[in-house]
Amino acid sequence: MSTTFLPCGEYHESYREDHAWWQTKFIKAKMALLMLVLFVGIPLVADSYWLSVCNQIGYTALGALGVQLLIGFCGQVTLGHAAFLAVGAYTSTLLILEFPWPKVLMDWGLAYPVSIFVAAIAAGIWCVLFGLPSAKVKGFYLILTTMAAQFITVDFVITQYISQIGGRGQAFSLPPGTIRIGPWVIDSDLKVYFMMIVLVILFTAVVVNLLRSRVGRAWVAIRDNDISAEVMGIHVVRYKLFAFFVAGFIGGVAGAFWISNLAAISPEHFPWFWSLWLVGVILIGGVGSIHGTIFGSIFMVVVMELLQMAVLPLAASYPKLLMDFLFIKEAAFGLAICAFMIFEPNGLAYRWWQAKNYFNLWPFSY
Amino acid sequence: MDLFLMTLATGIMVGGIYALVALGWVLIYKCSGVLNLAMGEMTLIGAYVSLSFYSMGVPFLLSMLFMLIIGFILGILTERIFLDRLIGEPVLTVIMVTVGLSFFFKGTLEFIWGTDTRTFSPPVFSIEPIHIGPVVIGQVYLWSFLAALVLLVVFVSFFKYTRWGLAMQATADDEMAALSLGVSARYVYAAAWAIAFMAAGVGGTLLGNINGLNISVGYLGLLVLPVVVLGGLNSVPGAILGGVIIGVLQNFCGAYLDKYFPGGVKEIAPFAFMAVFLLWKPYGIWGWERIERV
Repeated sequence: MSTTFLPCGEYHESYREDHAWWQTKFIKAKMALLMLVLFVGIPLVADSYWLSVCNQIGYTALGALGVQLLIGFCGQVTLGHAAFLAVGAYTSTLLILEFPWPKVLMDWGLAYPVSIFVAAIAAGIWCVLFGLPSAKVKGFYLILTTMAAQFITVDFVITQYISQIGGRGQAFSLPPGTIRIGPWVIDSDLKVYFMMIVLVILFTAVVVNLLRSRVGRAWVAIRDNDISAEVMGIHVVRYKLFAFFVAGFIGGVAGAFWISNLAAISPEHFPWFWSLWLVGVILIGGVGSIHGTIFGSIFMVVVMELLQMAVLPLAASYPKLLMDFLFIKEAAFGLAICAFMIFEPNGLAYRWWQAKNYFNLWPFSY
Repeated sequence: MDLFLMTLATGIMVGGIYALVALGWVLIYKCSGVLNLAMGEMTLIGAYVSLSFYSMGVPFLLSMLFMLIIGFILGILTERIFLDRLIGEPVLTVIMVTVGLSFFFKGTLEFIWGTDTRTFSPPVFSIEPIHIGPVVIGQVYLWSFLAALVLLVVFVSFFKYTRWGLAMQATADDEMAALSLGVSARYVYAAAWAIAFMAAGVGGTLLGNINGLNISVGYLGLLVLPVVVLGGLNSVPGAILGGVIIGVLQNFCGAYLDKYFPGGVKEIAPFAFMAVFLLWKPYGIWGWERIERV
């Protein structure tokens, strides 16, 4: 599913071309157009509401990228990724609020960028800690340990202990103006949007490049059959833990990014539901496909927004609907996962691949 | 010492309920190989259904019976609509379908019954505690334990002595051989889900009697996972023993560790214990160790 067929008459003359990211002029033009839309088109056209929807998509995509790496490329199923997002978000918040930053860093607005980096490392290490059982167990048992990660991290450590730091109560509020990158104060949806788009593109590029390196091939070998991978000389435990580290790192970035969009963070932002939601996103998008991560995030967020829009007019006559929207959302999410698993197990990315090849090969599809 | 005995007694009694729910889980896994993460919500469904009947004025035992019938129907429907198409699919697919089911159930439940805590009123079991020597136990616990015990015996003898139970055991043991001997695997799967739904429902009703019923009782249903891991995924005696051990462990952590780690030690302990236990003995006490070959 990974290869895209080239159109008639396109030939590669060197391995370099064969391994290139964007292989034809048409694809290059397409990507340039995509960048134009992302950086110019959407900010110009979209109003604040749609920008916030875009931010939601970006946050979901960043979080799901780590999950995709673990489940789709390394075969280590995780049902507790929100825990690592939470570690990232809390590390970053605490660093911003409590750490005695040198004046120089504050003046240059480097506190938040540095805290993102530290948060990502912390989340990565935390993720490796809960990935350690993967050396011994796999499959369903690993699912259980990652679930334990969720409950231990979010429901116990963060709720009971981390939230007590500084005596702020359950939620850590972030005063406006605290989140700055360089000279810019991140205070509007537009600024969050630009930050989001840069982060998503950056980490997609990082992950895609990792996947076509030695590391990525080792991960795929472990996913397909870990015993044969070991026989072939891959250090299985080391690569598994590295996958956990990268996934936790990206999760930490996602969490630390998301605090720029929130006025306050509390453990309720990272429930178990959110972990499962991220897994649902990659299942709907397509397991083992970077496209799938993005498509899945777009699909899930947009469908939920549309559902909300559909509920709003009905709410005039049935007020109960609006109050219970969260529950409708949950039930719809559950049904969507079931339906996709049963009727469309390859996810949206597979359909995209089919469509792309159809147009690439048209009119001679043989 | 009194605290010790009392905690032990409470732990064993709650553990009996866990064992009952875990039995349903093990049954599904044994028969059809489905790792079910929707057990918590199945517990809730049964609990809410019997609570609704009870608050309509139906006697407790009768409402329990209605709940069993509805659970039976729901179990068969679930298997027919969702799980039947997934036979032979990868493990992750099946697990995620059960996760999807759990959300679907949960959302629907919250939509119908809301999130407020409901109680069985008037209380089914009298609130007078019972004194056994130095140990004081709430009647709820005692009766729940007895009910769980009776049902465990019923279930186990069902598997051992009835034709249906034997067919299910045969399918669990070797599906191909069972099929060639004329056992219909599809009926067995449906029956496994129906029984699991009923067991979970009884467990949920009993749990709901102890502390009132709200969505977080579903979390107690999730505790079934540490239980089955401890006992071994495909072992019925393991599920019973694991249930009791987890119940006792949970109550001891609540009683003794709460001083040192204030907050939710009681809720977290089984999962933390499970994570450590998995490192030491991943196949549980009586589970089958799987030998892998390339």
